[in-house]
Amino acid sequence: MRERYKRHAAPLSIQRLTRQRVNQLAAPLMVIATLFLTGCAGDKSILDPAGQAARDVVLIWWIMLAFGTVVLVVVVALWLYAFKRKHVTRTAVEERRIARRWIVGGGIMLPVLSITALLAFGVPAGQRMLPLPLSEPPEVIEVIGHQWWWEVRYPGAEGGEVVTSNQLIMPAGEPVDFHVTGADVIHAFWVPRLGGKIDMIPGRVNRIRLEADEPGVFGAQCAEFCGVGHAHMHLYVEALERDEYDAWLAERQTDQLASLAVNDQQHEPAREAFMTHCASCHRVAGLSAGEVGPDLSDLGSRTSLGAGVMPMEEGAINDWLHNHQTLKPSNLMPVHDDIDSATLESLGAWLETLSP
Amino acid sequence: MTTINRQATPQEPQNPRDPQGLHEDLHEIWGNPRGLKALTIVNHTTLGLRFMVTGMVFFLIGGILAMLVRTQLAFPDQDFMSPDIYNQVTTMHGTVMMFLFAIPMLEGLAIYMIPKMIGARDLVCPRLTSLGYWCYLFGGIILMSSLVLEMAPNSGWFMYTPLSSSEYAPGLGSDFWLLGITFVEISALSAGVELVVSILRTRTQGMALHKMPLFAWYILAMALMIVVGFPPLILGSILLELERAVGMPFFEIAGGGDPILWQHLFWLFGHPEVYIIFLPAAGIVSTLIPVFAGRPIVGYGWVVFAIIVTGFISFGLWVHHMFTVGIPQLAQAFFSAASMLVAVPTAIQVFVWLATLWLGKPKMKLPMLWIMGFLIIFVCGGLTGVMLALVPFNWQVHDTHFVVAHMHYVLVGGMFFPLIAGLYYWLPLFSGRMPSETIGKWGFWLTFLGFNGTFLIMHWTGLLGMPRRIYTYDTGMGWDIFNLLSSVSGFIMSAGIAMVLLDIALHFRFGKPAKQNPWNADTLEWANFMPPSAYNFVSLPKIETRHPLWDDPDLPRTMAEGKHSLSVANHGRREMWGTDPITGKVREIIHLPGNSWLPLFAAMALAVVCISLLVRVYPLAGVFVIVAAVLLLRWSWENGAHPKAAPDAEVAPGDPPLHSRTMDGPGLWAMAIALLANGSFFLCYLFGWFYLWTVSPEWRMPETSPLSLIGLVLAGLLVTFGAGVLEKCVRGLRQKRDAGLAISMYSISALGFVQVAITLWVLLSANLEVTETAHDAIMMVGLVYALIHGGLGAILTLLQGLRVGYGYVGAHAPFEPAVVAQLWRYNVVTFWVLVGALAVLPRVIGS
Repeated sequence: MRERYKRHAAPLSIQRLTRQRVNQLAAPLMVIATLFLTGCAGDKSILDPAGQAARDVVLIWWIMLAFGTVVLVVVVALWLYAFKRKHVTRTAVEERRIARRWIVGGGIMLPVLSITALLAFGVPAGQRMLPLPLSEPPEVIEVIGHQWWWEVRYPGAEGGEVVTSNQLIMPAGEPVDFHVTGADVIHAFWVPRLGGKIDMIPGRVNRIRLEADEPGVFGAQCAEFCGVGHAHMHLYVEALERDEYDAWLAERQTDQLASLAVNDQQHEPAREAFMTHCASCHRVAGLSAGEVGPDLSDLGSRTSLGAGVMPMEEGAINDWLHNHQTLKPSNLMPVHDDIDSATLESLGAWLETLSP
Repeated sequence: MTTINRQATPQEPQNPRDPQGLHEDLHEIWGNPRGLKALTIVNHTTLGLRFMVTGMVFFLIGGILAMLVRTQLAFPDQDFMSPDIYNQVTTMHGTVMMFLFAIPMLEGLAIYMIPKMIGARDLVCPRLTSLGYWCYLFGGIILMSSLVLEMAPNSGWFMYTPLSSSEYAPGLGSDFWLLGITFVEISALSAGVELVVSILRTRTQGMALHKMPLFAWYILAMALMIVVGFPPLILGSILLELERAVGMPFFEIAGGGDPILWQHLFWLFGHPEVYIIFLPAAGIVSTLIPVFAGRPIVGYGWVVFAIIVTGFISFGLWVHHMFTVGIPQLAQAFFSAASMLVAVPTAIQVFVWLATLWLGKPKMKLPMLWIMGFLIIFVCGGLTGVMLALVPFNWQVHDTHFVVAHMHYVLVGGMFFPLIAGLYYWLPLFSGRMPSETIGKWGFWLTFLGFNGTFLIMHWTGLLGMPRRIYTYDTGMGWDIFNLLSSVSGFIMSAGIAMVLLDIALHFRFGKPAKQNPWNADTLEWANFMPPSAYNFVSLPKIETRHPLWDDPDLPRTMAEGKHSLSVANHGRREMWGTDPITGKVREIIHLPGNSWLPLFAAMALAVVCISLLVRVYPLAGVFVIVAAVLLLRWSWENGAHPKAAPDAEVAPGDPPLHSRTMDGPGLWAMAIALLANGSFFLCYLFGWFYLWTVSPEWRMPETSPLSLIGLVLAGLLVTFGAGVLEKCVRGLRQKRDAGLAISMYSISALGFVQVAITLWVLLSANLEVTETAHDAIMMVGLVYALIHGGLGAILTLLQGLRVGYGYVGAHAPFEPAVVAQLWRYNVVTFWVLVGALAVLPRVIGS
């Protein structure tokens, strides 16, 4: 399981960037920046795009950076030069002419031309990112932000809607529309390596279209301040090949998961404890329908726990059940000091088996 | 009366008293009392300094909070602070820096500097200056106390709902913010109003609009922007506090409200706010550069154009803070282009400054060093600002540390660096002493390098995906080293700032005495004594050009010798010129009120209101609202021909009349500007009503309007009729007729009270369920607004009736009814608009 945590995609390569028309001027800068970056980019780096939208933005960024640097250096150099140069006495008419040249050239032409160029380049790029209608409707995934976890729904899954939490599996190589909203306060959905963010606002549904070039795991994090747990609201977005994705969805049909949850007898005491202590908040397909906390139906198969705060390993759930307030301070799950440790352990062991 | 010939034109007085005698006369009237009575001071010099010193204290507190943040973020997985404390610290850092440092500090500078620059003796509403200061101080203390009590607001400095609403922010944190900030904003608004009026109406003789120092243009724009830009936040704060305290669901989806309305109201204020902070700072730059280049600024007209354009555009780009909210694309494109366009006026100024240096003989003195720092940082921040205005890029970096870096480049570069440049420049004026170049240079370089080390790197941290406002982060994201560098640099920057403050503090004791006009500046503030006297100038000069001190380097001496106008003070009045707003021709003598306890007491009463609202003891709040109102009305009582104002209207031959004996006093202008602020508030209210009506996802509107149209129309007719009669009285006064004035005033007042009663009946009979639906709640707010204004109009008119009886108002002193008439006119317009929006439109369009 752990290898999913490692960076899936190759380090930023020039080839991937030059798939776009690359401005001649920006190319050398990109080489330098690439060298600088390969050592230090994490899985949330905007500068390491893994989808078309993010790639467009990073290209715009490098061009803007190059142009902005030139403007800054030239303006500052002119100011400094003004201190150094010898004073020349001029007539009032000459002075006015020189002043007007500076003001019209630098104050009006420079910003107007720059803005025009920027908009001419940027607006079409923005247009391409919009969730406009496609000839073949894209896959729709609903993501709902809660304090401080993610509810994920697949309304278009064959055989009925699939509901899960704190994991987001998407098909690679095709556009996917995310319909997002907030359950309590405003959160924001953001997968930096795939593209821009969108707010998750209670009472509204916002849409964003993202596409992953290739299968991989991409870091995501809530980007709108949402309270004490804001820093611990992570998500790992995994893109799979289409057939793997379909298979993944099929395994998570409610009846499939239900048989997983109830079938084996050795965990009966844990199930009972679950029904007493956990079921009113958590859903496990076939057992309970709680909606306050995250769904746990396939918990054992997920890559992380507690909305990305710790990797899923053997014993991780047990650790979480005992220490979740330390692992994720201020999370809204009560401290289970009313349950004896052995029961918690059995709960952990059972939840680990919930893996299709 | 004296025999001295005082004339409106600056001829040499024939037999002036000796300078020392003049000084003693003026000091007798204007001088500051000591001891406990120092609390009554209304003088702009003293209050300007108080504003700035208080602002600096809050700056230090905000700076310490910033250092706490940088300590927490220096390493991954730190537990130096708990998430809740961290959230309180970041919220308060932003709040303190914006509301308790940046704005009051610049206002303080403007309050101190403007009268001196335009050749006046004080601001035009001195008691208002004092009220503003006390509201600022008390509001600031109330806000800071929340930090000590560990119940500080923790929902971020922009307080987004629903995170800040009672369900997700129980406790008093949000209430501290909403009530405290609203309290502090009284000071911003009062300074805004009086700065506008002072700049327009009290410039010295001959200072036509086009001869005004550029700094005054910048402050004029800033003050007007405060007047129009703060009311949206005040409205938003009132609505949110009502939601939290009473349960009126303005921002709650289930009740038909909308959390996005808060964001609109907040940024309608929040974006102009950035320019409210930047413009005065740019004004400092435009003042210093010509002085150190030794030549007039090139393109004065261009700069004025840029200021005005900036002011207007800044109200049209608030949505660029909301690009990720899911606003329609067309609107995003509009706001994107508008946000970029603001680069044009800014670039004009940058190149005007460059051209001035280019054509002059610039000298790199200490203040100029800070100006260079400003240039580098601010241009950089401006460039990232244009980048952020590009929607697709914004979608990526919004709410990351890239934005944190950008914002600090703009605010620290655009405000703090020019501010320090300005402080160094004006220090000799404050104290009569020069600062130390050596410590100053150390301070600059440490601050400059520390700043860039902190925030240049932070752009990169943001691009690597670090969201803002997370109290900790995991290692392995590539963020560790950059955060550590930012933190270390942050501490270097604080060392630099400490050195600057040390330099400033030390110079008061050890600085070399400064000579008159030490930088060879061109503007009138350098004609003051150093440090200045309470009355600024012994005599007020006539100005011929934009550069009075360059034209006549002897001016400070002749002014001090009383060789210009208004140098006589044996009438006991605080006097200065009231001039034409455009041409600067003298129109009247403005007489100003003296020191008073009333502003302090009124501010104390308001503080009690604020605290009792906070602890939810509403009856007490109600009582003290009345106390505050009575104190403020008592204050207005001491005007006109009142014994404490100007009972004796005699002036020297050849001088224009006192303002209270004309129809043209500054109070008329102050009322107009205050109504402009009020109108902005009202428009935002209408925006809220129509926004919820059209956009809110679960808006519910009753089939039939609950408001009685007949009742409202009747009330509207009454207020219209009352205003008409009042206009007629004012026309009569203009022709020196005041027969039956008192009776008319009482009758108009009675009409006002009947209108209030009918409106109240309409409100009560509507049976609004204000906690159930946003529709009823916002309707209630509109009607209460009408009630308050109707009541205010009626009370002020009643007082006018009484004042006629006392002889304070009448044909001899006809000024005040004209002021009150403006309020009535305003009430007529807003009442009918309210009737149309709340009662007629829903009937016509239907739900």
